[in-house]
Amino acid sequence: MSEAPRSEAPSAVPPASVVLVSGGSRGLGLAIVTDLLAAGLKVAAFARTVTPELTALGEKYPDHLHYGSVDVNDSAAGQAFVRDVENALGPIDALVNNAAIGQDSLHVHTSAEHLAEIIQTNLTSPLILTRFVLRRMLAKGLKGRIVNITSICAQRGYPGLVAYSATKGGMDAATRSLARELGGRILANAVAPGFFASEMSAVLGQTQLDQIVRRTPTGHLTEPEDVLPVVRMLLLENTNLNGQVLVIDGAASI
Amino acid sequence: MGEVMTAQGRSLPAEDTADLREIGFRSLDFSELALRVEDELGDELNFDAPGLRRIATVGDVLDFIEQLQSA
Ligand SMILES: NC(=O)c1ccc[n+]([C@@H]2O[C@H](COP(=O)([O-])OP(=O)(O)OC[C@H]3O[C@@H](n4cnc5c(N)ncnc54)[C@H](OP(=O)(O)O)[C@@H]3O)[C@@H](O)[C@H]2O)c1
Repeated sequence: MSEAPRSEAPSAVPPASVVLVSGGSRGLGLAIVTDLLAAGLKVAAFARTVTPELTALGEKYPDHLHYGSVDVNDSAAGQAFVRDVENALGPIDALVNNAAIGQDSLHVHTSAEHLAEIIQTNLTSPLILTRFVLRRMLAKGLKGRIVNITSICAQRGYPGLVAYSATKGGMDAATRSLARELGGRILANAVAPGFFASEMSAVLGQTQLDQIVRRTPTGHLTEPEDVLPVVRMLLLENTNLNGQVLVIDGAASI
Repeated sequence: MGEVMTAQGRSLPAEDTADLREIGFRSLDFSELALRVEDELGDELNFDAPGLRRIATVGDVLDFIEQLQSA
């Protein structure tokens, strides 16, 4: 069904007020949660394991942070968590799909089960969570925002990351189609960082990290702190950015 | 390991301490070797890349394959 041309521009999508961040217990996700709380937003975060850092944030922001232990691959638990968040903080109007698992194995030596687990966690489950959150937003007549954390691996090849790259490329592609499908009512964008130090990238050897730094014009690896202002902008600002993938890698991939 | 190298017109040095970079045995050659061992065993030997990165000599290759087989 094609959209009739609009006679007037739709009103802007307001800044996010209640943001759900998947994988908010450590690494980039925790940094995003911390940053959004400091900016005065209400934030909900989950991961399989709740860390002391997340608990400490909960104590600091008891009225603004709701968190829990949820496996993104358990869609029933994810949906129950979304309902809990709505009760605790109010309707969710933004989702940051950040939870993911890494990979460090050559494709031929990755078991079919491991491959399926990577695709389930990094692509299928985020799409199912997105679908559920969108259904809640649309049913409530809300406008909103989606930010998918993808990776430079979606655009450049890296050995040992075949399935992981496929999932990140899948999320980039989904971001574009979501932006089209949601007709400007919900802004969907992706942020694709280069490699940064975290539990996920701990598998990279020092030689590889040095090599990435040498090939990066800005001379340093991406830090979570480099990514935060971009995520915040996508959640809060009026920029007409929609369906885009913003690469944050110091031009390492250019 | 000798078979993989012979198939590429090269030969396996006698010493276990021989450096893989010097003899031109690359990670894909290692994959080929592991897959040949799988064929013989009739079972998959999947493994992560960090283990591979520690392999530097002919002896390391043989130890790694042995480890995989007994895992
Ligand atoms: N690190 C890098 O170099 C890099 C580069 C580019 C893009 N990225 C992307 O940035 C995002 C964050 O990565 P990171 O480096 O911060 O990773 P990280 O430190 O490994 O954190 C991943 C987060 O996701 C959660 N998570 C993983 N599996 C989950 C599951 N099944 N259910 C619920 N939560 C789950 C983890 O908690 P639990 O394990 O307790 O569940 C954790 O909170 C990911 O999307 C990653 O692909 C990372």
